[in-house]
Amino acid sequence: MADIVIVDYGAGNLRSVQKAFEQLGYDATITEDPTTVAQAPAIVFPGQGASPPAMDALNKAGLTEAIYTSLTGGTPFFGVCLGLQLLMDLSEEGPVDCLSVLPGVTKKLPAALKVPHMGWNNVRLRKEHPVFHDVPQDSYFYFVHSYYAEPADDAAVLGTTDYGVTFCSVAARGSLVATQFHPEKSGPAGLKLYDNFMRYVVLQQAVPEV
Amino acid sequence: MDVIPAIDLRGGKVVRLRQGDYNQQTTYADDPIAVARGFAEAGAPWVHVVDLDGAAAGVTPHLEVCRRIVEAIQAPLEFGGGLRSLETIDAIFDIGVGRVVLGTAAIEDPLLVQAAIAKHGSSRIVVGVDTRGGMVATRGWVEQSSIRVEDVLRQMATLGVRRFVYTDISRDGMLTEPNFDAVASVVMAATELGSTVIASGGVSNVAHLRRLADIGAEGVIVGSAIYTGALDLAEALRAYGRVI
Repeated sequence: MADIVIVDYGAGNLRSVQKAFEQLGYDATITEDPTTVAQAPAIVFPGQGASPPAMDALNKAGLTEAIYTSLTGGTPFFGVCLGLQLLMDLSEEGPVDCLSVLPGVTKKLPAALKVPHMGWNNVRLRKEHPVFHDVPQDSYFYFVHSYYAEPADDAAVLGTTDYGVTFCSVAARGSLVATQFHPEKSGPAGLKLYDNFMRYVVLQQAVPEV
Repeated sequence: MDVIPAIDLRGGKVVRLRQGDYNQQTTYADDPIAVARGFAEAGAPWVHVVDLDGAAAGVTPHLEVCRRIVEAIQAPLEFGGGLRSLETIDAIFDIGVGRVVLGTAAIEDPLLVQAAIAKHGSSRIVVGVDTRGGMVATRGWVEQSSIRVEDVLRQMATLGVRRFVYTDISRDGMLTEPNFDAVASVVMAATELGSTVIASGGVSNVAHLRRLADIGAEGVIVGSAIYTGALDLAEALRAYGRVI
């Protein structure tokens, strides 16, 4: 059994994500099989592109139910990019029912700015979190997106980023964490997030004092 | 300012050319993936990859090598060389490249630039303006045009281009110093057009980075200086890159 399972529903090249976990010494499996996802000890839910076709692909593959099963069971879950947006109820990108894991809406970035928002930007954390253990406030991460998630529950917003609008760049609730940016493309700081997730959320090691 | 290390690929190897001359090549490494990994681990915000074989031929023979670099490193890739059709541009984005640099294609085919921006967004399409003696050079720098830099900037900005890579060929791979006056005038012209400039060519020490930052360059591409050891990338990133 792999240490962590990466959900493949055809939304982008997932090898970067897999390689990042492998580099940290973990066995990461890319799968499109709902049973494997439902039984996984931990899940990475990545994605790029638009919400409507992504939900369509998840539903057709039977992955939506598998994701609910694992989340209901409290499986540690790491959403990335579209993998954060799909946790909302709805998206301005089109008429589609998203996963409704976190109440909220996915909105379009202001049109006045360069879109997509692509490149390095900093993340302001609102509180401490094991995944951000030993990661300095205002660290830079790599973004590529034209839409952003807006959780209705402010308590689910762990970190924010400014790009014309101040948006939720990290959401967290229980053993779920999701980032709008790509940790696997964010240099040493990004790799540290995956490492922290494995240590302190998945393997439940004690978080050291800073 | 983004300090961006460069990997120039020729025949699968990491090489540098002097002044873009295909007959004056130095091979620095056999394994581009290992080189890219070293750059990313040092904290480089981008890794700049140029397919020299593609730049001359108009195709991208190093697509597979690029895919392996993209998968192996925790930094986004900026890619240039041989991108002269929307299909090739799509193919390079499909493997996960962050942004592309169009050179010859942009000069010869403005409609391609327009289509690429419409499809992928202005933040993913960068136009490379390479000059020799103030005039724009094309086709892997083999051919010289009679087009002035300022005219290209203006035309490209009209098409929606918001970021340029400016290279002074006479300084590239020479480890002398950047053509600061030329960079300054390009930065000024681009700023008026609402665009930013990444400078390339001639950097050989940290003091050069300081001057380029003062001039207002958004970034700087560094190649030979890193490979010869004249510039320590980690040190440069600490001094002038963002802390990540």
